[in-house]
Amino acid sequence: MLAIIQNYSGMLWAALGKTLLLTLLSLLFAMVIGMIFALMNVSKSRVLNCIGTVYVDAVRGVPLIVLAYFIYFGIPAGAQMLGFSNFRFSALQGGTIALAMNCGAYMAEIIRAGIQSVDKGQMEASRSLGLTYGRSMRLIIIPQAVKTMIPSIINQFIITLKDTSILSVIGFPELTNMGKTISGNTFKVLQTWAIVAIFYMMVIITLSKIAKRIERSVNRGK
Amino acid sequence: MENRKVMVHVQNLKKNFGKLEVLKDLSIDIMEGEVVVLIGPSGSGKSTFLRCLNQLETVTSGTVLVDGQDVTDKHTDINKVRENIGMVFQHFNLFNNKNVLENITLAPVELKLMTKDEAKKKGMELLKRVGLDSKADAYPSQLSGGQKQRVAIARALAMNPDIMLFDEPTSALDPEMVGEVLAVMKELVADGMTMVVVTHEIGFAREVADRVVFMDGGYIVEQGTPEEVINHPREPRTIDFLNKVL
Repeated sequence: MLAIIQNYSGMLWAALGKTLLLTLLSLLFAMVIGMIFALMNVSKSRVLNCIGTVYVDAVRGVPLIVLAYFIYFGIPAGAQMLGFSNFRFSALQGGTIALAMNCGAYMAEIIRAGIQSVDKGQMEASRSLGLTYGRSMRLIIIPQAVKTMIPSIINQFIITLKDTSILSVIGFPELTNMGKTISGNTFKVLQTWAIVAIFYMMVIITLSKIAKRIERSVNRGK
Repeated sequence: MENRKVMVHVQNLKKNFGKLEVLKDLSIDIMEGEVVVLIGPSGSGKSTFLRCLNQLETVTSGTVLVDGQDVTDKHTDINKVRENIGMVFQHFNLFNNKNVLENITLAPVELKLMTKDEAKKKGMELLKRVGLDSKADAYPSQLSGGQKQRVAIARALAMNPDIMLFDEPTSALDPEMVGEVLAVMKELVADGMTMVVVTHEIGFAREVADRVVFMDGGYIVEQGTPEEVINHPREPRTIDFLNKVL
């Protein structure tokens, strides 16, 4: 086990870095996607509600691995049929899109629940003063919703981090993929996967601890 | 009264929630400077009527003019009209993420009616008026119900409204706090503010109302001076209601 760590530690750390990069990029886009679809879902327009629901249901109804295959292999194949033969995603691009879409759907639900947890009277009071719906959302509703959303968002962050391992199937050199490489090279399967597991745990336990701390300070602020 | 202008003109107002008819053909005119108190059993449509005036509820049919502007018309800028209609809610609805002074200054500054400094100055004046200038930096969660409601009144007044709507402003308060809120409202009456008040405080109605309107089942059953409606009601339903609450 020590030999593996000695020989491969540089590559393991680099792979962990890729995992974190993929996680952060996906989360960033997922936040934007989530916010857009959450706002659609809480709006009064039936059309927007419908679009929001279809997105969330469709993405949540597809396993991430299938979504990843669809985007990474399916879309370039489709592009080829349409005559764009050189269109390809890099593994990072494909992985980020798949993960952001997936995480975005869950994020939309978290944000929607957060917005709906704010008392209706807050919006009414704001509207009664002559502020528009958009301004009321931005100034009054969303700042209050964010507080209740923080624990769920961090939880989603952890889930997304773990989901990056699924993207080893499209060849992105993240931690799990590195595990495959190392165990293939060394044949020390048990030790390799134990080390990979420990790498994930280190990050996730750290994140959980930070989450707890943020949660507590938010609750104090109430 | 003859020369005063009509502040609120409501004609044949109807409001349905799905199949439930809450307001059935309601017509009323409210004059500038008039204090109208709406009383009636719960479910009679008082609050819904009030919320139709600033379009927190859309109307099913009928005309509602406030300050001469048709609030039911899609072409009316409802936000502009609402700037002139102050509203005070049963559950205060202070912005929980803002402190007391910010609650008051937020709308005038955002809507560019005042600069930040003007709004702060005005806010402090209003807080002094409702006796809460020492609480300017407090957050709503740190205030008692009565204090919250006084801040809510100050918040509405900061917009310099032409009319104030009160939706059961004392119903969610502990009994010992009702007086402080009514006192602020009485001051507004003395200043000549046009007010429409939904309340269960019959004593308040008797003392300050120019007109008392008794509603039941989505209709105006009886209206007149407090002397007429509260002391000498004619309609059996009014008599029945007053017997229960007095």
